[in-house]
Amino acid sequence: MSDRLRLLLRLAVRNIRTQTRRSILTGLAMVVGLGLLVMSRSMAEGGHEDWIEKGVRMGSGHVTLQAPGFAARRTLDYRLARDDLEAVRMALGDSSVAPAVHGYAVRLELAGLASSANAAVPVAIVAVEPERERRFSELPAKLVEGRYLVAEDGLHAFVGQQLLERLDLDVGSRLVLTAQDAEGEIAAQLVRVAGVFRSGVPETDQGVVHIPLSTARGWLRVEGSATSVAILLANSRAVGPATRRLERVLADRADRVAVLDWKEAMPALHAAVRLDDFADWVFHAITLAIVALAIVNTILMSVLHRTREFGVTRALGMSRADTGTQVMLEGLVLTSVSGLIGIGVGLGLTWLLFRNGLDFTFLFEQELEMAGVVFDPVIYPRFHVSQILWSLGFVFVIGVLSSLYPAYRATRIEVAEAMKFE
Amino acid sequence: MSTVLVLSTTAPVSGQEPGDAQWESARDIVDRVDRLMRGESSLGTVTMDVVTEHWSRTMEMRIWSLGTDYALIRILAPRKDAGTATLRAGNDIWNYLPRVDRTIKIPTSLMGAAWMGSHFTNDDLVKESRMIEDYDITIAFDGPREGIEVWEFDLAPKPEAAVIWGGIRLEVRQHDLMPVWMRYYDERGDLVRTLTFSEYSRMGGRQVPALMEVLPEDKPGERTTVRYSDLEFDIGLDESFFSLRSLRTSPGR
Amino acid sequence: MFRSPWWRIGWRNLGRNRRRTLFTTGGLALGFCAVVVMGGLNRGLIAEMIGNGTGILDGQLQVHDSEYLPERSLYETIGGREGTDVERLVAAVAADPFVSASTPRVFAGGLVSSGDGTVAAALIGIDPAREPAVSTILSTLDEGRLPLPGANELIVGREMARQLSFAAGDEAVLVAPAADGSMGNDLFTVAGVFDTGLAELDRGLALLPIGALQRLIALPESRIHEIAARVEDPWHAPEVAARLAGPIAGSETEAEVSAWTTFRPEMVSYATMAEGVEWMLLVIVFVIAIFGVANTMLMATFERRHEFALLLALGTTPGVIVRSVLAEAVVLSTVSLVAGAVITAPILVWWHLAPPDMSWLYGGTTLAGGLMRPILRVEYPWLMIVEAAVALFLTAVLAALYPAWRSARVPPADTLTGR
Repeated sequence: MSDRLRLLLRLAVRNIRTQTRRSILTGLAMVVGLGLLVMSRSMAEGGHEDWIEKGVRMGSGHVTLQAPGFAARRTLDYRLARDDLEAVRMALGDSSVAPAVHGYAVRLELAGLASSANAAVPVAIVAVEPERERRFSELPAKLVEGRYLVAEDGLHAFVGQQLLERLDLDVGSRLVLTAQDAEGEIAAQLVRVAGVFRSGVPETDQGVVHIPLSTARGWLRVEGSATSVAILLANSRAVGPATRRLERVLADRADRVAVLDWKEAMPALHAAVRLDDFADWVFHAITLAIVALAIVNTILMSVLHRTREFGVTRALGMSRADTGTQVMLEGLVLTSVSGLIGIGVGLGLTWLLFRNGLDFTFLFEQELEMAGVVFDPVIYPRFHVSQILWSLGFVFVIGVLSSLYPAYRATRIEVAEAMKFE
Repeated sequence: MSTVLVLSTTAPVSGQEPGDAQWESARDIVDRVDRLMRGESSLGTVTMDVVTEHWSRTMEMRIWSLGTDYALIRILAPRKDAGTATLRAGNDIWNYLPRVDRTIKIPTSLMGAAWMGSHFTNDDLVKESRMIEDYDITIAFDGPREGIEVWEFDLAPKPEAAVIWGGIRLEVRQHDLMPVWMRYYDERGDLVRTLTFSEYSRMGGRQVPALMEVLPEDKPGERTTVRYSDLEFDIGLDESFFSLRSLRTSPGR
Repeated sequence: MFRSPWWRIGWRNLGRNRRRTLFTTGGLALGFCAVVVMGGLNRGLIAEMIGNGTGILDGQLQVHDSEYLPERSLYETIGGREGTDVERLVAAVAADPFVSASTPRVFAGGLVSSGDGTVAAALIGIDPAREPAVSTILSTLDEGRLPLPGANELIVGREMARQLSFAAGDEAVLVAPAADGSMGNDLFTVAGVFDTGLAELDRGLALLPIGALQRLIALPESRIHEIAARVEDPWHAPEVAARLAGPIAGSETEAEVSAWTTFRPEMVSYATMAEGVEWMLLVIVFVIAIFGVANTMLMATFERRHEFALLLALGTTPGVIVRSVLAEAVVLSTVSLVAGAVITAPILVWWHLAPPDMSWLYGGTTLAGGLMRPILRVEYPWLMIVEAAVALFLTAVLAALYPAWRSARVPPADTLTGR
C-alpha cells in the first residue's frame, strides 16, 4: 500500500471516529440490514432445504430413476427389470456418484383398490424395502399407531389415518389390495395393517399404502422389478452434478432408465421454492437500498460539512483524486466495519437458532400445505459459505455505490470557493 | 355358497342322503357343498329385486356359468336395461352396453362399486374362490334349530387368504346339505351382511334354494332378492363360450 | 397548534439543506413504497390463492341440500326428492348484492371409456352458459370447444384425455349408476380438453351439460345437487352465506348455504399467516429507516445548535425546542409520505392492471390446495397503506426524539462562546 493511500486511509478512519455518533447511527442501519440479510438468508435456505428434503423424501427423491414413460403412464408396463436395477445399483456404487448419495429407495408404485369388509377405496400402493424406506421416507416418522414395516414383514401394510377410517379398520385388521398385475390381470393380495400414519397432506393420508416390496413382487408377478429408484443426496445443491454423473454412468441404458431430478418430478415444489426465494430477495433489495440511502446521506453530509477542510487540504497539495479517494475510503471503511459487524450479528443470531430453530407456530392456525408439502413451523437455519460471500459482496457494493456520489461531490470542490465557506 | 354362486349357480346339492355326512369333518362337508358345482356348467333364469332407500326395481336376467371362474349374465327386463350383459372371466369383469353397443372393462378402482345397483359389488362377482382354500372351518353348532337338525359352520379366513371378511358363519341343514343362511362379519365381529336361502325346490334335477336374499347391515331396510325360476345343469358349455364375442351376442334376449 | 410558527420553521429548515432532505425523504418514501408494494404483492398472492382455489371450480359460495355433505349422495338433491324450482333458486342466490353470478350443478360418479381404456371419473353437470360467470374451469379449455347445452358432449381434463387418448371429436362412453337404480350409459362426443394445472381435476373430472348428465343418471330437471355462486370479494362470502341462509332455507326448500371459508379453512389459515408476515415486514423496514432519519435529524440539529442556544438564552423553554424539532420531523414525514405516494401509486396501479408475467422465474404451483399461476398481480392493500403511513410518521417522530432531546439540552453559554 502506498504511503499516500495509507495517509488517506488514516484520514478517513480518523474522520469516522471523530463523528462517533453519526458513524454509529449510520453503522447501525447497516448492522441491522446485513444482520437481517445473513440471518434471513440462512433461515430461507434452511427452510427451503427442509422443504425440498421433506418433499423429495415424501416423493421421488432429489433424483429419481425410472423407466422412460413411467412418469406419464404409471403402469407396470413401464418398469425397471432386474438387470436395469442391477445396473442402477452399480451406477450408485460408481466412484463418481457414490459419495454424493445419502440414501436411496427402491419402490414399486401403482394404483389399486383397498377393500375391507365395509368399504373399498382407490389407493396408491407403494411397495418398499422397509429398512431403506425407513431411512429415506418421512412417512415412517409420521406414525400415529402401530409400527412401520420391518424387513421380515410379509403381509403387512402401513396406511394413512383417513384411509383407515374410511375402511373402518384397526391396527392388525385385514385389508385386501387389488391391482392389475404385470400381465394385465386383476390380482388381489391380503395384507394386515401394521401401522398408521398421519402426514397432514390429505391426498396422502386418504390414499397411500406402503407394503413390502417382496410381497408386491410376488403378488404382481414382477420378480426382481421395481418402478423407480428414489435417490437422496446431501442437499439440493448436489442435484445438478449428481444428475449429470448418473446420466453419464447410465448412458448405455438411456432407453431403459431415465434420470429425473426433483424439479422435473415435482415442478410445483420447485416453483414454490423459487417464488419464496424471489420474495425474500426483493425484500432484501429494498432494505439494503434504504440502508444505502442512509449511508449516502451521512457521507454526503460529512463531505459538505468539511468543504472548508477539503479546500485547505487541496490548497496544501492534495489532488482532486486524493480528496475523492479519501471520501471513498471513508464510505468503504464505514460500510465494511458496520457490514462486518452486521454479518457477525447475523451469524451470531443464526448460531443461536441452530439448536432450537425459529418457531413460527404462532402464525399457523393449522397445518399448511404448499406444493404438496406440509410446512414445518419450526425453521432451522442452514449455513453455507456462499451466504457470507454474498453478504460481503453486498457490503462492498453498498459501500462503493453509496460513496461514489459523495466522493464525486468532494472532487468538485473548488479551493477558492471552499475557503469562503465557514 | 359364496355370493358369486348366488348369481351364477345355486349350490346344487343333489343325491345327498339325509345324515350321510354326519361323520365327516366340517371341512369335508363344506368342501362337498362347494365342489359339487365345480367344473359344472349351468344356465338359469333369475328375477332380481333390489330395494333401496331411494328406489326399488326388478330385473330379470339369464345366467350362464362354468365353475366359479366364468359367468355371463344378461339382463332381459326391464326394457331400459334389456341386453345389458356382464362377463366375468377369472378376475376380470366386462360390461356390455347395448344402448351404445360398447364393451367396457371395469377398472380396478371400480371393483368396489355396486353391480347393477344391487347390494353385490363387482368384487363380489370375482373375489370368490373355494371356501376350503381360504377359510379354516369348524363346526360351531350341531343340533336342532326350529325343529331341523343343522350345522353351523364357523369359517375363519386363513392368515394369508385375500378375503376381506373377518369371518363367516354358515348354517346348513343336515338332512339335505341345503344352506340356510350365511352371515358375514368384519374383524371386530360386527355383522356386515346376511345372506338367507329359502324356497328349496327341485330344478334341473337337483334340489336348490330358489330364493336368496342379501341384507346389508349398514343400510337397514335395503335388500337384494334373487329368485330362480328355472335352472339347468350340465348344458355343455366350455370356456370358449365366455368370450367378449358372446358378451355382445350371446342368445337369450 | 397548526398555527404555531414551528411548522413553518420546520419546513424552512428542511429547505436549508435540500440534498439532505431529499435523501432522507427518499429513504422514507422508498420504505413506504417497499412496504406497500410488498403488502400489495402479498395480498395479490393471497387473492391468487383464494381466487384460484375457489374460482377454478368451487365458487365462493355453495348451496346444497342440508343432507348432501359430506357423503355427496346422488339422491340428496336440493329440495329433496321433489326437487326445486331451479331457476327461481338460482335467481334468489344471484339476487344478493354481493353475488355476481350463480349457476346450478349436478354431480355423479361414473366411468368414462374410450373403448380401449376406461377410467373412473367425477362427472359434473354444468350450464355452459352460466358457468363461466362463476368459475374459471371452462376458460382453461386448451383444445376443442365447450359442450353445447343439452347435447351429449363432454370436456375432460388433460391428464384423462392422455390416459384415454382422447382428442376433440372422439367418441366416449359414459356409464353412471342412475337415480332409478339402473346403470345409465350413453355415447358422448369429446368436445374439448381442459387443463387447469391441478392434477386431481385434470385427471379425474369430466364436465358435461347439466341436462345431459341429468338424462344419464335419470334425474329430472328440477333436481340438482348444488348452486355455486361467485362473490366478487371473497371476504364478503361468509356474510352473504349468513344472509342467504335465512330466505333460502325459509322457502319450502331446505338448503344449506356455505362460504369458501367453511369448505376451504386451510386457505383462511394461510391468509391469516401471510398477514402476520406483513407486520414483520413493516417493522423491519421502518426500524432500519429510523437510523437514517435519526442521523439526519442529529446532523440538522447539530448545525443549528447555536440557534437553539440563543433561543434557550432568550428564555425559550426546552419543551418548545423539543416541539420544534418534532414538528420538523412531522413535516419531513409529510413530505416523505407525499413522495412515497407519488412513487407507489403508479407501481400499484400498473401491477394491478398489467401484472408482470413471472413464468421466466417460476412455474405454476399450489398453495393450500389453490393453484398459483406465475403472474404477480398486486391487490390494493388499503389497510397496509394506512399502517405504513402511520409507521412512517412514528418512525420520523421516534427518530427525532433523541436529536430533539439533545437540542433542548444544548448548554447556551458554552455553545454561544464557541466552546
